[in-house]
Amino acid sequence: MKPKPSRSLIALSTSALTLPGISLADAPPTQSTASYKISNYQEDDLSRSEAPFGDLDRYDIDVHQFKLISPVGRDFSVNIDANYETLTGASPWFTSVGLDGDPDVNLSGASGIRDKRTEVSIGARYYLENGSIGSNIGYSEENDYRASYVGFSGERHFNNDLTTVSLAFSHSADDIFPTDAERFGRVISESKYSSSAVFSVSQIINQFSTIKTAFSTTEQRGFLSDPYKLIDFRPDTKTQLAWSNSYRRFFVDTNAALHLNYRYYHDDFGISSHTIDTSWFQNLGRNYQLIPSIRYYSQSAADFFTNIDDFLKPLNEYQSSDYRLAAFGAISGGLSLVANFGNWTATLTAERYVASDKYAAYNINQPSTALVKYNRVSLGFDYSF
Amino acid sequence: MPLTLRRLSFQAMGSPCEIQIYEESRISAKKITQILSSEVSRLERKYSRFIPKSFLSEINYSAGNSMGIKIDKETRALFEHALSCFEQSNGQFDVTAGVLNNIWDFQNKIIPTDSQINELLPLIGFNKLQWRGSRLYMPPNMTIDFGGIVKEYAADSVARLARKIDVQYGLVNLGGDFAIIGPQPDNQPWPIGVADPKNRKALIAKIDAVEGGVASSGDYERCFVHQGKRYSHILNPKTGWPSAGLRAVSVAANLCTVAGSIATTAMIKEESEGIKWLEDSGLSYIAMNQSEEIIRNGWQKPSVTAE
Amino acid sequence: MPTARSLITIMLAVTLLSACSQVRPWERGYLAKKEMAWDTDALESALNDHIFFSKEAASGGDNAAGGGCGCN
Repeated sequence: MKPKPSRSLIALSTSALTLPGISLADAPPTQSTASYKISNYQEDDLSRSEAPFGDLDRYDIDVHQFKLISPVGRDFSVNIDANYETLTGASPWFTSVGLDGDPDVNLSGASGIRDKRTEVSIGARYYLENGSIGSNIGYSEENDYRASYVGFSGERHFNNDLTTVSLAFSHSADDIFPTDAERFGRVISESKYSSSAVFSVSQIINQFSTIKTAFSTTEQRGFLSDPYKLIDFRPDTKTQLAWSNSYRRFFVDTNAALHLNYRYYHDDFGISSHTIDTSWFQNLGRNYQLIPSIRYYSQSAADFFTNIDDFLKPLNEYQSSDYRLAAFGAISGGLSLVANFGNWTATLTAERYVASDKYAAYNINQPSTALVKYNRVSLGFDYSF
Repeated sequence: MPLTLRRLSFQAMGSPCEIQIYEESRISAKKITQILSSEVSRLERKYSRFIPKSFLSEINYSAGNSMGIKIDKETRALFEHALSCFEQSNGQFDVTAGVLNNIWDFQNKIIPTDSQINELLPLIGFNKLQWRGSRLYMPPNMTIDFGGIVKEYAADSVARLARKIDVQYGLVNLGGDFAIIGPQPDNQPWPIGVADPKNRKALIAKIDAVEGGVASSGDYERCFVHQGKRYSHILNPKTGWPSAGLRAVSVAANLCTVAGSIATTAMIKEESEGIKWLEDSGLSYIAMNQSEEIIRNGWQKPSVTAE
Repeated sequence: MPTARSLITIMLAVTLLSACSQVRPWERGYLAKKEMAWDTDALESALNDHIFFSKEAASGGDNAAGGGCGCN
């Protein structure tokens, strides 16, 4: 049996550890990578009993994502991202009481929604001795929405690169100009501003595992209501806090990695939520990887949520029947298959998501009927050069 | 396409070097080996004491300059490792001992006088280097020589770069200092052999390695015999004379840099101290002493001779 | 909402972790594997963030908010 490593060996190994060619600290990528992903997202249709009037079809969205990331010189990297989405379908317009006394959802069949969304962003990152700093700007446009945003971030490594601390800020300015505004008595044009900050600390625990904890805070102000709902009046400021934790662990015997994430969220609309998700990255031979994943989400209702629009309520009191402010839970499961060949990687993913008041961890006073169920499939390609 | 073994041989750091990788496409292999050999060139251009424009030469020119010289992160890390070597070897492994190269000439067997040596001894001593933040202030006439550290660091650096660009199976060999990128396919080890200092065609030991590095220190070419004693080319900073201990040492460790530091330190010490140092490290080593005996721990006797 | 005390306890625990095992350089290979990254597929996480932002109240946590959208 080999004797324990000597003190000298440990000292020499530790100093060798700080050598840049050997350490794991950030460095710009050595190659450029171009990625493309096409996805289809399809919500389950409502049943006629849930929606006695109007359309049954909910959203059907096709998404195209492009990304290019490239090193520039020895110390920089730049990235360009572009997304293009087309959507058809309808979203709940208002809820009313049905003949059976339960809330019904009425979809906006009349206008229907056929929309396109385009988003472009560019960013750059500069790598220093012990960390990096970066910045990005972006712009997105739909036929009724425009947003511009900017962000800055920095990270620094400590403790022989075992610990990393990072801080990021972003700000966005959005304009909403709903379609058919005059015809339906909607607001003509409104703005919204949002600023957020994220602070995170990550730590290498041992040769197989790492953990990270992050705190984020977001402040929104402006028009926060949904202009397409017949009755929707929300406060004009919103403060959000989130705390997330992540764990990664590699299993040598099985040649697989475990991801585990938990997030707690709270905002001043009164909503709290828990999110927990886990994935298992199973390597199959040299070229393939199979990744099953499962996610559980649960939120409480906003203080002013009501599952039946109250047309008699004074207009200066907050209310919304938007199901996204209701108490509900959601379970989703997915499976990805990744194939690597030379400079190419292909990824095929399928996911099913079901939101239901049956899954909620929080008390439900007023269940929403407009909860969503959807399927998503994606096919992505990456090419390194 | 099946995985094929590709090799690139080139000359760098004064030695024959070779990169071996398993790669399906000949074109990718060419690109990969180009990227890797550029990394070796980069380190050679930066740290060679034979290149007048290298950063190391700049550092040496700055000796005696009251402004000092700004040192970048990579070089500072090399100095930190050199400090660690200095401390762990009780001052015997000292990168400031290079100044002695000016008075010794191993090729022409020129031996300096005692007074010549005594003149230079005060210019040796890692602890004499002054630092303020990231600036180094070298006392006049001192010189730095990263021999024993930089070639091994280059091997590790290239291996890590190779892994980063997704090379799974490969081996880097810089003049006998090895760093493993990854095992041979199907997790088969790389057989690494040590040549007999007396007969380069014969192997005195072999080790099968799937990861880590192997470094060797030996008096093959640059030794000389004086009054019956065999001297290596490694100069002892305390006596000013080359060491006359072990004739050759090869060490396997989890990093070539670490293996090199252990091997070089073992060569500077007296023979029996050198063996004790290697034993205490707990690593696999092979050493040949003055009497040409081979001491082996963890290395196998070879079954075939080298080609 | 976690109390200030529990937040401080957790931050202290993370700081103390910096005293834990020095990971040997050759042992970091596992951590460098693609499947051990915080974000293994940037386009997938961006897509999911976008979907969950539209369908759920919670957002944020790990990354600063990116683009806005009129998703409803």
